This record gives sequence, structure tokens and C-alpha cells, in this order.
Amino acid sequence: MRGVGKERLATRFAIVAITIAGVLLVAGALDVAFAQTNPFGAPRGQAPAVPMGGVLGWIFTKQAEFYRQFSGLIRAAKSDGTAAWSLLGLAFVYGAFHAAGPGHGKAVISSYLVANEETWRRGVVLSFASALVQALVAVVIVGVAAALLNATAATMSKAVNVIETVSYGLIVLIGLRLLWVKGRAFIATLRLLRSPKAVGAAVTPAHLLERDDHDHHGHDHHAHDHAHCSHDHHHDHSHHDDHAHAGCDHEDHASAWGHAHAPEPEELGGAGGWRRGLSAVVAVGARPCSGAIILLVFALAQGLFWTGVAATFVMGIGTALTVAAIATIAVGAKSWAKHVAETRSGYGMLAMRGIEVGAAVLIIGFGALLLSGYMVSERLVGI
Amino acid sequence: MFHRLVLLLGTALASVVIGAGSASAHPHVWVTMHSELVYAPDGTVTGVRHVWAFDDMFSTFATQGLESKKKNEFTREELAPLAAVNVTSLKEYDFFTFAKANGKPVEFNEPPDGYYLEFDPKQTVLTLHFMLPLKTPVKAKELTVEVYDREFFVDFGFAQKNPVKLVGAPAQCKVSVVNPQEMDTSLAQQLSRLAGDQRDPSLTVGSEYANKIVVKCP
Repeated sequence: MRGVGKERLATRFAIVAITIAGVLLVAGALDVAFAQTNPFGAPRGQAPAVPMGGVLGWIFTKQAEFYRQFSGLIRAAKSDGTAAWSLLGLAFVYGAFHAAGPGHGKAVISSYLVANEETWRRGVVLSFASALVQALVAVVIVGVAAALLNATAATMSKAVNVIETVSYGLIVLIGLRLLWVKGRAFIATLRLLRSPKAVGAAVTPAHLLERDDHDHHGHDHHAHDHAHCSHDHHHDHSHHDDHAHAGCDHEDHASAWGHAHAPEPEELGGAGGWRRGLSAVVAVGARPCSGAIILLVFALAQGLFWTGVAATFVMGIGTALTVAAIATIAVGAKSWAKHVAETRSGYGMLAMRGIEVGAAVLIIGFGALLLSGYMVSERLVGI
Repeated sequence: MFHRLVLLLGTALASVVIGAGSASAHPHVWVTMHSELVYAPDGTVTGVRHVWAFDDMFSTFATQGLESKKKNEFTREELAPLAAVNVTSLKEYDFFTFAKANGKPVEFNEPPDGYYLEFDPKQTVLTLHFMLPLKTPVKAKELTVEVYDREFFVDFGFAQKNPVKLVGAPAQCKVSVVNPQEMDTSLAQQLSRLAGDQRDPSLTVGSEYANKIVVKCP
């Protein structure tokens, strides 16, 4: 092996740091997922791992109680109009509680917001959009398959499984794309920090780039995603690697220097930004909730399909509130981290990039787990 | 120094995100169980016979679109294909049934033919009947059978009346049943429900959240 240059060392160091952070995060996610929601592929232990105590236990007990009241209220709604209102109220509360459980995209949406430097307002909108998409998908599946075609539960479950696979695949793709973009931003930030000549300069001298590891660098410039933004990228200096995200992350310009300005909401709210968000909404929202489907089929059998539809949408609003609250916490945590990071100048920025990379890895992890879960299970027909 | 900061912040963030995602438990299926422990004349346990009644919402869902001669009523024959699907799928989850004889895990074979589904049109309740034979029948001083879904997609619970029966067991064998919720809230309450001769200190230990059958044959 030849002598290792400073930049190369820095790159390696960065890769090691990313790997450590990534492994840590994925390990955490795996732990949780396998212990609680995803036994597929993992040996089934003799002792159950269901948390029943504390807040989680309380949420679990409550939502189970609520769910069990659905059938009674739907039956009652046949003859009693007020029962329909109680049903809607219950659906709302159930949705809010139920969203605390897995499968409603909290984790993915939160990670997405963190990786993407999004505002909390954006997070709230994404949460609502994905919850409503989710309700709509359930209504369409039951409406078309059960109400119109009189399909069996098995057929519906197959439809759900196909949608599920596509949706989980999308989550993995979104994560991979973010990892690619944010990983490069991380490495670029690191390079700038490690290169004394670059510090204080707005533009990295071109020769620094040329000394870089070509394996990694060679294709960077081609991979810029300029699709949504029109400002120029003529100058190919390395801090533009920061900038790779959809060509729209204006804030990255200054941020490598530790005195970043926060992105203005208008900037994020641009057309390209929303298009970006749409992929997350579809990926998270496409998979309908089993509970909603079962409820809709039951309402249909009772001759109250439209009451069931109303309940499903109200449930979606409840779900959205919980997801939005959690997403807001995640965004708040990131802002706090950013605040801390800014006092540390360049290294702080590096830490921020590290967090974004971590969040991207988390999304991939969640997506992969969900996908692998699908591979082995057909839960809805299952039993 | 900086990578430590990365890790620190990353971990803080991860705990928020994972904490948010970790709330488990979202049952969509409820099962009310009756179980029988079947013994051979020589006193060995040969298996468990389960009777699982599904909640009305899930029962409606599961029978949606199935063909039947009478609307909203299904005969055993009409339900036979669904029963086959159920039993095949349950294999993947070890039939949610985990047994130990004298403290050691024992394995089950797949259910032999004879399993079936029944439908009660009045209650809209689907009931699955199946037998789980032990791979090797055992003589056990203490036998425990736990039924639970680790994922909590299915919420199992024993029926209120006579949930567990011993069939052909030696006379000295005593059965007791532990319900998870009662274990959780108040063990004393649970214990007070058992008959005097069934009181058993072993109830305080072991996996606290499973539906547990304990048979003692001293």
C-alpha cells in the first residue's frame, strides 16, 4: 500500500465514524424491532417480550379496549343514530392511541424529517397527508374488493401485501437516496475541516479535489440531482458536494462553516420540496392499517359501509395527530442539536451531518426490517 | 473528539426516534381459548387440544366473500379451505403454543387431520378446533403450557369458565391457570380466584405475560 495522504486518512476516518454511528443506530432499531414487532427470522424465545407496564402498557390496554368497542358501536349504529357519533369519537381516540404502536410511520417520518432538515410545520403536514392516504387506501381496498367484487379476505390480504411490499421498498429507496446525499455531505464537510487551506475560504481550491481519492470522487459530480432547482452549479468545488440533495438544500452553502442560517420555510416549501415530501407520504401512507380494513369489512357486513368510511377517516386524523406530535419532537431534538453544534463551529456541522446520515441509515433499517417481515408473513390471513 | 459528539448526538436522536417507534402491541385479533391437555393411559401427556374462538370483527373479516349456501352462515365443509389456511399459517408461529415438561421445552408436531372451523351466525364467531400432539409424549411432574403472540397481533385470553381441562390425567394431577393481565395488576387477586388446593407459589415466577397453564402431578 502506498502512503496514506491526509485527505485519504480523513475520508477513512469519516467512513469509520459513519459506520459506527450507523451500526449503533441500526443495532438499536433491530433490537427494538425484533424484540417487539418483528419476530420473523428471529428465533421465537420462550419468554414473551411484550411491555405491559408503564405508559406503553397503559396505551396498549386503552387501545385494545377502544378497539373492542367498535363492533358493539357499529352494531348499535344500525338502529341508533347517536351510536354513530360515539363511533366517530371512539375512532378518533383509537387512532390517536393506535398510532403509538408500530406500522404507522412515526419512525420513518421522524427520521425523514431529521435527515432532510425539515421544519416542524412540514412534519405536521406530512403526518396528516400520510395518515389520510392510509385511510383512503383502506377504504379503496375494501370498497373495491369487498363491496364491489365480493372478494375474500385472502384476496384482500394479497392486495395489501403487494402494496406493503412496494411501500416498504420505497422506504428503503428513500433511505438509500438520503444516505447517498447526506453521506457525501458528511465526507465533504470532513474534508474541508481536515484541510487547513480550506478553512476560512469559501471555495476549496481545485487542487485539493484532484488529490482526492478518485474512487469515491470520480462520479460525485455526475450524480448531482439538479432536477428540481435551477440555480447554477458551474463551479465544481467540493463544498458543493454538500449541496447534492436534490439541488435544493440552500442552507448547506453556509453551514459547513458553522454559522449556517436556518432554512426559511418558504425555501423548503418550494415545489421541488413538496415533490420530495410526496414520496415519503406515499411510502408511509400506502400501507393500510389492518384494523381499518377489518373495521370496514365488519361495517360493510352490517350494512353500514359509509359509517365505516367516516370512522376510518376520523381514525386517520387521530393517527395523524400522534404522528405529528412525535415528528415535532424529533424535529425539535434536531434543532436543539443544531444549536449545540453551531457553538462548535466546523466540528458541530460535522456532527449535524453525522446525525443526518444516521437518520438516513435508520430509514433504510426500518424499511429493510419491514420488507423482511413481509417476506415471511401473511399476517392478515394468517390466523 | 468530533466523532464522539457525532455518536452522542446520534444516540440522543436515535433514542427519540426509536422511542417513538417502539411502542409495541396493536392487537387486531382476539382469541378466547378453551384448551384440553390430553393424557395417555400410562400417564404421559400426549398433546394439547385447542378451541379458539375469534372476535366478531375478525370472524366477519375472515369469512368475507366465502361462498355459502345460506347467506351469512357457513358449514364446516364450506369453511374447510379456510381452516387449512389457518393451520398452515399457524405453523409459522409455532401455533403460539410453548410447552415445558419439568422445566425443559418440548416440541409439538403439526396438527393431524380432524381440525375444523365452526361458525356461529348469531354471535358472528368463528371457532378453530385443532390438536397439537407432542413429538414425544412425556411424563411430567410439572407441565407448563403458554399461549401468546409475541407480536401481539393476536391477543389470546382464556375463557372465563372452565378454560382448561385435563383429559385422562392421573388423579393426583392438578391444573391451574394464569392470566397475564391479572398477573400484571394484582397477583393476589389472581391467586384468590384459584381454589384452595390449586394455590401455587410458582405462579409468582416465570414469564409473567403469557397465558399459562400449569399442571402438577406430584
